Formats: sequence, C-alpha cells, structure tokens
Amino acid sequence: MKQSIVWRLLRHNISAKQLAGYAIANLLGLTIVVAALQFYSDIKGIWNDDDSFISRDYIIISRKVSGIGSIFRKDATNFSETDIAEIERQPWARRVGKFTASGFNVSANVEMGGCGLSTALFLEAIPSEFFDIIPDGWSYSPADSSATVPIILSKDYLTLYNFGFASARGLPQISEGMISMLPLRLSISGNGRQRYFKARIAGFSSRLNTIAVPEEFMTWANANFSEKNSTDPSRLIIEVSSPGDPAITDFLDNNGYESAGDKADNGRASYFLAVSTAVVITIGAVISLLAFFILLLSIDLLLQKNRRVINLLLMQGYTPGAVGRYYTGIVLTINSIVTVGAIALMLCVRLLWKGQLSSIGIEGASPLIAISAAVIIMAAITFGNIRSITGTINRIFPRPGRR
Amino acid sequence: MIENIQLRRVLPDVFKGMENDMPMNPSDIWLRDVDIHRPDSCLIEADSGTGKSSLCSFIYGCRGDYSGTISFDGTDISTFSTAQWCRLRTHALAYLPQELNLFPELTVMENIEIKNRLTDCKSTAWIKSTLQRLDIDAKADVPVRFLSVGQQQRVAIVRALCQPFDFLLIDEPVSHLDQRNNSIVASLIKEEAETNGASIIATSVGNKIDINFHSTLRL
Repeated sequence: MKQSIVWRLLRHNISAKQLAGYAIANLLGLTIVVAALQFYSDIKGIWNDDDSFISRDYIIISRKVSGIGSIFRKDATNFSETDIAEIERQPWARRVGKFTASGFNVSANVEMGGCGLSTALFLEAIPSEFFDIIPDGWSYSPADSSATVPIILSKDYLTLYNFGFASARGLPQISEGMISMLPLRLSISGNGRQRYFKARIAGFSSRLNTIAVPEEFMTWANANFSEKNSTDPSRLIIEVSSPGDPAITDFLDNNGYESAGDKADNGRASYFLAVSTAVVITIGAVISLLAFFILLLSIDLLLQKNRRVINLLLMQGYTPGAVGRYYTGIVLTINSIVTVGAIALMLCVRLLWKGQLSSIGIEGASPLIAISAAVIIMAAITFGNIRSITGTINRIFPRPGRR
Repeated sequence: MIENIQLRRVLPDVFKGMENDMPMNPSDIWLRDVDIHRPDSCLIEADSGTGKSSLCSFIYGCRGDYSGTISFDGTDISTFSTAQWCRLRTHALAYLPQELNLFPELTVMENIEIKNRLTDCKSTAWIKSTLQRLDIDAKADVPVRFLSVGQQQRVAIVRALCQPFDFLLIDEPVSHLDQRNNSIVASLIKEEAETNGASIIATSVGNKIDINFHSTLRL
C-alpha cells in the first residue's frame, strides 16, 4: 500500500510520449551500433582467414608470366640477386626470403580405401624463420633413413580436390583432419637415383600457395637428386611493415611482379570496411547519445514538475533512495527493453547477410561481442541516467545546506 | 534521541541589518542563547512576520538561511548527513508545519498511511479511533482537498503523531480550530508527548493550544 500511494504521487507528469520517443530513438541508435559491429565481425572473416603458420605481414611475390620470353628463357620468371637486393632496399620490406624449388622429380602416392592415388608433384621450401608458428615435427634429419617428411599444403589444393576433383569423380571428400592422418609415400628421382620416403601432411596454409617441405630436406635432396646447379628463386616471401601500404602495390606493378592471393588488395578492402563500419557506428552512437540526452532532459523535467511532491515526501522522512527508486525503476525497465529489443533486432537484421555469407562458406563471428557492446553501452547510459536522478533528488532534499 | 535543542545567536538572514529594530529587539529567541531540554514544553508567541515559521523550518532542518548555530545535543545541525536527517525525521523530530503539507489528491487515510508505513508506529485501529476522536472519521476515504482547513489541520496533526519523537514542533496547531476541537487536539498531543517523554514546541500568533507550557518565549 505504501508503495502504491508513493507511486501514485510520483507518477504524476510522467509523459509516456517522451519516454516512448526516447525508447524508439535509443532502440534505433543502439541497433545501428550493434548491427554494424556484428556485420563487421561477421564479414572480416573473409580477410582474416586464419592461418596458423604465416601471418598477414608477409607477402609472397612472383614475376608475371607473360609473352613468349618466358617460354624460351627458363629463368625469365626468376629473381636475380640484383632484384632481391632492390626489394630489400624498399622501406616497407623488413626481410626477404627465397623459395627453394626442387631440382628433381617427385611423385606422391596415397592409399585410400583400397584405391591408390598417385600424382606428380613439385616441392618448395621457405626459410623456417618465416613461419610464425613452426608446425609440429617441422624438421628432417637425412641421417635418419626412416624419418618422415612433413609437408605443408596450400588449402586451395584441398578445396580443389574436394569440390573439383572428388565431386566430379565420385570420390570421397576429405577433411583437413583426415588427410593429416593419411600415410603418404613420396618417390624422389633424379641424378640417376630413386628413393622412397614416408611423408605426412603437417598442416594447411591459406597464405602459402605451394607444397612446402623443411629447408633441411630440400637442401639435402637437391644435393643428392638434382642434376642442376642451384638456380635463382622464382618466388620470394617478404615480411612487410604494413600489408595494405599502397607503395607495395606500386613497386610490384612497376617491376612486373605480382603478389599471391592479392592480399594487398584485401588489406585495402578490409581497411575500407573498417572505415565504413566506423562511420556507421558513429552515426548510431550519435543517435544513442542524443536519445540519452532526451531521457536525461525528460526525467529532469519530470523531477522538476514533481519537485513539490518529492520535497514533501523527503520532509516526511523518506530517503532520496526510496523516492528515486521509482524513477530509476522506470529507467531500468525502459533501458532493459531497449537493450533486449536492439539485440533482437540485430539478430534479425543479421539474417539478411548471414545466409549470403554462409553460401560462400563464411560462418560469421559469434554475436557475443555485439551483445556485450549493447549491454555495456546501455549500462553506461543507465548509470548516467540514475546518477542524474540521484543528483536531482539530493538537491531537492530539505537540509540546512548553509551557504 | 535528542535531549536538548540549543539556539546560539540565531538570526534569519532576512533580518540582517535590523538587529536593533523590532522584532529583533526585544526578542527572547533571535540573537539570544536558548536551550530547550526534554521533556520541557515551550510556547513561542509571536506576531505575524516575526519569523516563527522560519524558526520551525530552521529547527526541522529544511532551511539554512540564518546566522548563528542550532544544535541538537551539542552537534551543529548543519553538519548532519542526509541519512541522519531521514532518521531524525522518522524517529526523533515530529513536525506539523503551518502549511500542513498534505497531499491534496490522497485521501485522509492515505495521507496518514504515507507517514505511518514509513515509521510503522501506529496501528490502523489507533488511527481510526483518533480520527473518530477528532470527529473526522467519516472523512477517512475522502481526498483531503475536499476537507475544510480545520479538518485538514486535524489530519496533519494525526499524521505528525504517527512516529516516535523526542521533540514535537507544532506551528500554529489550532489556528483553524474551535475551542472544543482545540481541547481535544491538546489532550491528544499531551498524551502522545507523555507517552514519548517528549517536549512540545508550539508557536502561536493568538489562538493558543490548551497546554500548560513550562516556558513561554516571545519571538
């Protein structure tokens, strides 16, 4: 009964229109903020294709293959020492590593469900220091004749097999985990010799567009099976200071080089995405901020209109907390509804792009970050509102408050 | 618990510069040292405009526009925290303001309940019998705005008594009451003050409440 009497006194002058205006405005602002955040975290997966071995700070370059020259001159697509020195001089290049190609014949054999697959292959090696994380068992000791050769395979090859070859030939599709368990047999020949090696897939890389083996193995195998003297590399791996730097693209274009997988372009696209997301989030945040002030003013006006009633209740001995509780209750209720509403709207809006993303194989990020952002933003807004209510009621409190 | 109220050279700001003029001089309160000990009762007689309602507001702590010091048991009341004031106003200091401060949209019963639910001091039976004693029991469920000023005054008195108190400040408690109601209100207030062992500080511009005061001060 006490509550209902006090509430009847305090609810005077509450403007449902003002509160609804605030709720709608803040719902809109908050939805824009969290939906933009969610969109950004969903879509950035396109560029941030996780690669456990090689980070985004590396680019892999090769010469453009064009014209007849490359057919007749075998080394037309190689990088000379002068070329490498020039690249090393570029301000954006931190380190340059060479891909070492195999100078022998390789074929791989795999037994799969009674069906043997055999294919001619090529192998390359890059210096181990260019790996961010050295794959498990990434070493080879020529002294150990039964040693297994670890191989890192480009993810693209597995995709090509699964969605191109296997589906066309009615073969089973295989996962990364399965293929890592398959026993491989490498046959290496050249220089009048042939030898078989056990091999296994040590991992997949989306950035390393090759079939890579440890440098120790390559050096040893080239020394034993290659008929050629060492040649200039045809591909280079470069550690760069900023993958999206336009100076890199300009340099590559001017010299007729190209970078694998167009990661530099992706860098720019993801930068553009980040900028446009920031713009959208700012717009949403401004709307939310304005809505916050609407509520602040609306509640302040309400308290001013009810100043006499509040003062009389405090004169009776009601604490500012007991009186303010009713108003903080309103704020908490509306803000909770707005938070839940914005999260629900964001999840609905997300369906618009989620279907399209999953059709190109992107799962999308967990909505937890966007949901947490919504909760944190609303907690901050609620805190601001409640502070303002408490402050105003404390100012109304009848006390000597002298001079 | 408050044992005594001390006034030390208190002067409302509005009277500053008029220290030697009427009504400051002569006055038993303004610019004097006054002590009121519990359970002594005190009547403050004053002419209109001499600041008696201001004095009540100063003691109840809702205004601070004065110089000098008001203390409860030696502590300057201007130093009290919000929580201390809330506690005093529900457990030690009861107040009937001249303007009554009722909520016009609430009924008689609700106006009393709003205080009694806070202090949990009186039973509903006590409230009903007191309303009956003051001859306003028939109005219990009527919004206060429909009552005469005299009836409203009695409602406000009942509400003021719905708490434990050491001092009861009553600002012109019977200004709108006839002699019969004056006597009924006076005996009610005396009983409650005795039960609480409390002091009564009453003001009057003419129509005095029927209580034998220990002292009478001229404002």
